[in-house]
Amino acid sequence: MTRPLAPRSPARPAAHTTLQKLLSRFHFGITLFAVALSGVAILLAGITTLRSYADRNMELATRVGAYGAEPALVFNDPEAAREGLDPLRRIPGIARLRVLDHRGRPLYEWQSPKGDPSPVLTSLFFPQPFSTPIRRNGSVIGRIEIWGDSSTLIDYVRIGALAGLGCLLVTALGTIILARRFEYELVKPLGEIATVAHDVRLHRRFDKRVQPLRIAELDRLGGDINALLDELQGWQGHMESENAVLAHRASHDMLTALPNRAAFDEQLAARIENAARRDGRFALLFIDADNFKAANDNHGHAAGDAVLVALSARIKETLRTGDFAARIGGDEFVVIVDPLDEGAGAEAIAARIRQIAAQPVALPGGADYRLAISVGAAVYPDDGGDAAGLLTAADTAMYADKLTNRSQKRQAET
Amino acid sequence: MFVSLLLVGSSLAAPQLAMEAASQTIVDGSPAGVATGVNRIVGGIISYARWPADLPRAPRTMCVAGTPQLTDHIAPAVPGGHSIAVRRLSAPANGSGCDILFLGRMPVADRQRLIAWVRGRPVLTITDDDPGCSFGAMFCLRARAPGVSFSVNLDAIGRGPLRIDPRVLQIGSDGDAS
Repeated sequence: MTRPLAPRSPARPAAHTTLQKLLSRFHFGITLFAVALSGVAILLAGITTLRSYADRNMELATRVGAYGAEPALVFNDPEAAREGLDPLRRIPGIARLRVLDHRGRPLYEWQSPKGDPSPVLTSLFFPQPFSTPIRRNGSVIGRIEIWGDSSTLIDYVRIGALAGLGCLLVTALGTIILARRFEYELVKPLGEIATVAHDVRLHRRFDKRVQPLRIAELDRLGGDINALLDELQGWQGHMESENAVLAHRASHDMLTALPNRAAFDEQLAARIENAARRDGRFALLFIDADNFKAANDNHGHAAGDAVLVALSARIKETLRTGDFAARIGGDEFVVIVDPLDEGAGAEAIAARIRQIAAQPVALPGGADYRLAISVGAAVYPDDGGDAAGLLTAADTAMYADKLTNRSQKRQAET
Repeated sequence: MFVSLLLVGSSLAAPQLAMEAASQTIVDGSPAGVATGVNRIVGGIISYARWPADLPRAPRTMCVAGTPQLTDHIAPAVPGGHSIAVRRLSAPANGSGCDILFLGRMPVADRQRLIAWVRGRPVLTITDDDPGCSFGAMFCLRARAPGVSFSVNLDAIGRGPLRIDPRVLQIGSDGDAS
């Protein structure tokens, strides 16, 4: 059974991306944004804190230096300054020390032999030296200046950069894992729905249904699709049975439920072709009710119909498995006896039908009616090689039989 | 830590075991330069000395005994502090009324008497006639090119009630006691 396909919608432009890719891209973007935001916040907070600690550290260093260098300034003694500032020379993070007397002349100066690991960091954190005046009994007797360097900061910056990198790595990993989860949770059920829809459209498998899904919205979508499929399946079934009824009606007689003329022509052609191919034989019987018009006229159309139904039922009774019977006119029936046995000739079958048909028929009014029929037989390929020839031969034989019957009847009446 | 141990230990030992000289104030070689250096060092030492709290506060009186060797103009320059009254010591063996004794060149007997008198009293003793710093003065000045330096006698300091800032002691002890 073929149905014309529903008119196709105009060609859709090809999709550019999958839902999964879209989701993972969005997710990665959001995660990256969050990490970057928090990273920047932490970095800023870290730099601020680090800076305040570094400043405080340097302030403490200048105070220690001021304390240590004070007697040296009082006694104008560079050696004493060297000794007094010895603790500061040993701690890391100090690039340069200078002690000036109250006239601004340097009393002592020291430069760290170690190089600055990162001049950029130094210029960022210690753009200028830390300086504090040195007082003795309330009057300024000199000044100490200390330049910091990045040797204590570089570790923090390295660790910070490493931590940032680690964070990014974790973000990437997390995004991948979440994207996979998305695929499982969202894309897979969508794929199932799509598979069902595709199957239905392509293979007309209206019995397919979407399984229950975990996500409420998708489950509702699946349920709607299932309901739609239910309706489609209902329409499909209805249409199929309707088609079957129509097809039956087209090929069968309404009253007797026997195949009609069109079905018979088709069947006869098929049998001829089949027999020609197998070199077989079959018989075609032409049956006509002799006194049907009298039944119609005397007892009414309902009685005529009852007679026809009874006749067709009796014809059907005589048929074997491969045989075929049809009503091709008002009171005309044909039977194809196929295959034709060597023992039982066409005439024997005709005789049996004639005998069965002669049984009385109970009419709706309560009366009995005795039917007489004429039967003509033609055998393929003896009496005709094609449908028309066979029909003509059978028709001729039937008329001959009818004439014989009439003369017999007349003889019986006289 | 080691200094305080030395203070305790050396207070019982002979005066000859005092610490060696150390600090050096750079000055130019002229007499005026030397005078400036001496006064600067003396003023600095005075500013780092702490008299007991029950004594009346500054101004302090400095008495000069004998003949100063480095300069005639003894006028200590105390940084940011009060001025110091300087006078000659009238009686060679009695330093009463003096907060600071500057011992110049003088007879050994007089000096010993003064040192003995100072013992236990809140008096700061400075000399410029004792390069080895072994006669019992607390601070000993000496000229040493290119300037003036001082050393510390920890024994002498340990015997008296005066308190001296450890930073000065460290400078005066050449760093090898720290």
